Amino acid sequence: MLVSLKWLKDYVDIDVTPQELADVLTMSGLEVEEIKTIEPEFSGVVVSRILSVKKHPAADKLSLCEVTDGERTYPIVCGAPNIKTGDIVPLAKVGAVIPGGYTIKSTLLRGEQSDGMLCSEAELEIGDDASGIMQLPRDWHPGTPLEAALNIGDTVLDISVTPNRSDCLSMIGVAREVAALTGKKVRLPSVRIREASEDILSLSSVTIIDADLCPRYSARMIKNVKIADSPVWLKTRIEAAGMRAINNVVDVTNFVMLETGQPLHAFDFRFLEEGRIVVRRSEKGEVFVSLDGKSHVLPDDTTMICDGKKPVAIGGIMGGLNSEVKDDTTVIFLESAYFNPSAIRRSARRLGMPTDAAFRFERGIDPEGVLRSLDRAAQLIAELAGAQVCKNYLDEYPRKIKKTGSIPLRLDRLRSVIGAAIEPKETIRILKSLGMKVRSDGRGKYLVDPPSARVDIEREIDLIEEIVRLYGYDKVPPSLPAAAASEISAISRLELEEKIRCTFAGSGYSEIINYSFTSPASVDYLLLPGDDIRRNFVTIKNPLTEEQSVMRTTLAYGLLETLKKNINNSSFNLKIFEIGRSFIKRGNNDELPEEKNILAGLLTGGVSEDLWGGKNAVDFYDLKGCLENVFYDLKIEHCLYNAEKTEPFLHPGRSCAVVHNGVTIGYLGEVHPDVLRKMDIKNTAYIFEINLDLLNEQVSRQIVYREISKFPAVVRDVAFVVSEDMEAGKMLEIVEGQTEELLENVVIFDIYAGKGLDAGTKSLGLRFSYKAPDRTLTDTEINSIHEKIVQNTIARTGAKIRA
Amino acid sequence: MIAGIQQLENDALAELENAGSQDALLAVKTKYLGRRGLLTGLLRNISQVPAEEKPLFGKRCNEVKVLLENKIEESLLRLSEGAKKQTLTRGKIDVTLPGRGTRPGRIHPVTQIRREICDIFSSFGFSVVEGPEVELDYYNFEALNMPPDHPARDMQDTFYIEEKTVLRTHTSPVQVRVMQQVKPPVRILSPGRVYRRDSDVSHTPMFHQIEGLLVDYDVSFADLKGILTAFLKRVFGDATTLRFRPSFFPFTEPSAEVDIRCVMCAGRGCRVCGHSGWLEILGSGMVDPTVFQNVGYDAEVYSGFAFGLGLERIAMLKYGISDIRLLFENDIRFLRQF
Repeated sequence: MLVSLKWLKDYVDIDVTPQELADVLTMSGLEVEEIKTIEPEFSGVVVSRILSVKKHPAADKLSLCEVTDGERTYPIVCGAPNIKTGDIVPLAKVGAVIPGGYTIKSTLLRGEQSDGMLCSEAELEIGDDASGIMQLPRDWHPGTPLEAALNIGDTVLDISVTPNRSDCLSMIGVAREVAALTGKKVRLPSVRIREASEDILSLSSVTIIDADLCPRYSARMIKNVKIADSPVWLKTRIEAAGMRAINNVVDVTNFVMLETGQPLHAFDFRFLEEGRIVVRRSEKGEVFVSLDGKSHVLPDDTTMICDGKKPVAIGGIMGGLNSEVKDDTTVIFLESAYFNPSAIRRSARRLGMPTDAAFRFERGIDPEGVLRSLDRAAQLIAELAGAQVCKNYLDEYPRKIKKTGSIPLRLDRLRSVIGAAIEPKETIRILKSLGMKVRSDGRGKYLVDPPSARVDIEREIDLIEEIVRLYGYDKVPPSLPAAAASEISAISRLELEEKIRCTFAGSGYSEIINYSFTSPASVDYLLLPGDDIRRNFVTIKNPLTEEQSVMRTTLAYGLLETLKKNINNSSFNLKIFEIGRSFIKRGNNDELPEEKNILAGLLTGGVSEDLWGGKNAVDFYDLKGCLENVFYDLKIEHCLYNAEKTEPFLHPGRSCAVVHNGVTIGYLGEVHPDVLRKMDIKNTAYIFEINLDLLNEQVSRQIVYREISKFPAVVRDVAFVVSEDMEAGKMLEIVEGQTEELLENVVIFDIYAGKGLDAGTKSLGLRFSYKAPDRTLTDTEINSIHEKIVQNTIARTGAKIRA
Repeated sequence: MIAGIQQLENDALAELENAGSQDALLAVKTKYLGRRGLLTGLLRNISQVPAEEKPLFGKRCNEVKVLLENKIEESLLRLSEGAKKQTLTRGKIDVTLPGRGTRPGRIHPVTQIRREICDIFSSFGFSVVEGPEVELDYYNFEALNMPPDHPARDMQDTFYIEEKTVLRTHTSPVQVRVMQQVKPPVRILSPGRVYRRDSDVSHTPMFHQIEGLLVDYDVSFADLKGILTAFLKRVFGDATTLRFRPSFFPFTEPSAEVDIRCVMCAGRGCRVCGHSGWLEILGSGMVDPTVFQNVGYDAEVYSGFAFGLGLERIAMLKYGISDIRLLFENDIRFLRQF
């Protein structure tokens, strides 16, 4: 809401600076976002009188004038046809600056001296008239600066009005607030109508068919209207409020809307067939052309203002092209109505027409201001358009508009909500300053009647807010509530996430955050088959772009996009991870999608950028190592890496599923070259995803200390020659699967293939470590156990012992 | 004989002087002090010394022996020190080369801010809870006193999934979900991603909020001020000036916007604070009785307050980031700075 202070002063005295006023308003909930100063586009222009006009001796179209500013007389050469002796006109003196930045100089025009310039409206950008010199009122004093004479120059506050304060979408509403805050009184414009003899009741009528959409419709008729430009005072006010001046009638309807908050509409009565108004809901598929020339297919339940035959306006939103006021309009049918706020909001949204009128109706206008605003506008039109207002007015009011009765206010409740005592006297003063009527029951309870414009005040808590708002939030002393134990327990997964962040950061990985939405094409880039559940997108109905039109079902694509962006920035070494959700649509539309908490990461480039001793490219095992660190940190043991189960977007020979206790919790591997090619990425990359919800279930938070054996371990190394596709993990699984208490652990210590071994075979070196908690093991004891394990392993794998 | 000792001493010292290596020293040691050494030989011949000279002779022999032993020991030590020094010098490295190993990665600035805020509120007894990001209209709007066609819905431009399903526009729906499940006292904090249909220098279609809720007997607006003041002073420093300004949220009443004195210009007015000298930091208010009614709490018995703040905004202020979109570009050169 743009509030001109010059205009506001019509309703309330202001004796503080604009900045002080802005501060007071901001601290009471009407946030002033900006203080704008309106200045004239010219300087050095004064009011002057023409003393004489003669023809220019050397140019037919020019005249020689003598002009006075009350002190001196200036010779001026002028080309305009409309000047004569005695005219009061604007004079731009030598040194004056006119719009466009031109400085007026003393000059010779066809041999005649010219010490200044007489100006048109257009030249001063006061109006559009460029046909001749601007004519000023006869009684204006020569020498007065033009901006002062025209009263140009203003300060405008840009106030952000919260949705509850519909009353402040008007100058009078803001004035009321200012008055309450500064201890002043509001002056309302006096409305007096001299009615002509002709009676609207005999000329027109209103029928409301759908009273749920329009509980009240009132109208006046104004005859002998002469459409013209509005006077400067009206134009400047409307323009200060950010609207465009059109003509005297339309400007008055806008002016009154801005003044009182009641939107109005003026019809040209000529175009109302049968001379009457019918209010009804739209018919299915009905089409209507609004006065901006746009054609609309009307949604259901739109309020239509019709004449005897056809719609003439979209009620509360915009008038129609077929009945708008034109230059030759002489009879005005002026509407002032109350429309159902939700219905207006619904229609305005569906039509995409958030007009000033709709904005006010949907927030709720003053139900008691309908007639007052109607009369105010009728009076102004009569004054400015030389017209007469017909006798009487139409007022169809079939449905009572909901009105809040007296609201009880308990002083103890007030105190307990605020946490501080406000004196009853002060409480009453505040309520009254806001125009509320207050009655006491003498026992700490009041009955309060808010003014009709305050449609937001319905309950005790609304009153309490008003009181503390005007009392001043800053005066409420802060306190601390007593601590109390709550039954809400911590989310274990979040603790897990924090540990994971630390492990990853410690391993050199930086955390990224990608958008949760992605492109539907992401799953194509990832080569996911048609039946993959990750194709079950949660789709956004109104996305900003196609690339952000579905919720991601995997974090992998985002990682690859991040990789690509960084490569474009010449960042080739990347270790990144993200913790976030993926979204899978469920079969049943009524159900919310499945949201999974995912940990994902990507690795590419060199092992370390800072390494001066040569740089190695990262590989699968670098990423796996980091993941294993996470598992180690979380005490998750015995994860299986299953190469049989992998992902379509991973290199089939360098990827696997991560399985724990039979549950697949994620995957890891090199990105498939086809995917990289499709995404135009030239660098190899390794990625993984782990489902944190599943991982969290696997984590045992119990730590049991095991006695450290005082006795030495006995170590035996064996090199098994196996087929080259025998997995090390499989080998370990077979060894560890043989229950033997004394076998403390087995690790791989060597892998070899090549010279000395048959083609198609490799040697796996296993180091067996035996230990007993209570004694030193003897060679003989170990030898038999070890031999048994080795022989079993050979039997199950077909391995040979390497010589 | 005595003179012989003197001669021997002089010879030995001269030889020691010339012995430049460990081997040479040991050879001198053997020549004089060995079992067949010259000094040992002299001592062996003590019987031939006249009786009256014997004590002096013995004393002198001993003196020379100790002297030589010490000298040899000293020289040996000096020699080995020298050798050690040489080895150490040869092993000199360039200490200015960078250390080996992996540089730690960085935690995303938004996460860092979230951690900080959660830690502060944990110390006030708040527990962290979560809710879905794809949310029902009911929880995101209706239960929070924003029925369909309520103008307050304009305050948040919404992404729609279905007619009654949205991407949550704030973390406030979690309040409702929690209150439906537990009875007061409630002290919760709910961080997470939220979504609004908006994209420019200061808006991204996804960002992070933290929602807080405290419900108990006798919780007042003064308590709201107390907790939020304590919180903001912990985040921005004890010297921070703040103000509580009336505002409007459909689910709180009275509602307050909390501003801090601009951290960039200390209130003088700059581009960051829009020349107002103040920065909006969080929205807050007393839980509206309608919300309590919607979750089955008795508003006459319980009262409470809620607040919400955007993490990106805090991160931008704390770290001097001018474009919010940088936080989601994931440019590693950006991330490495935090």
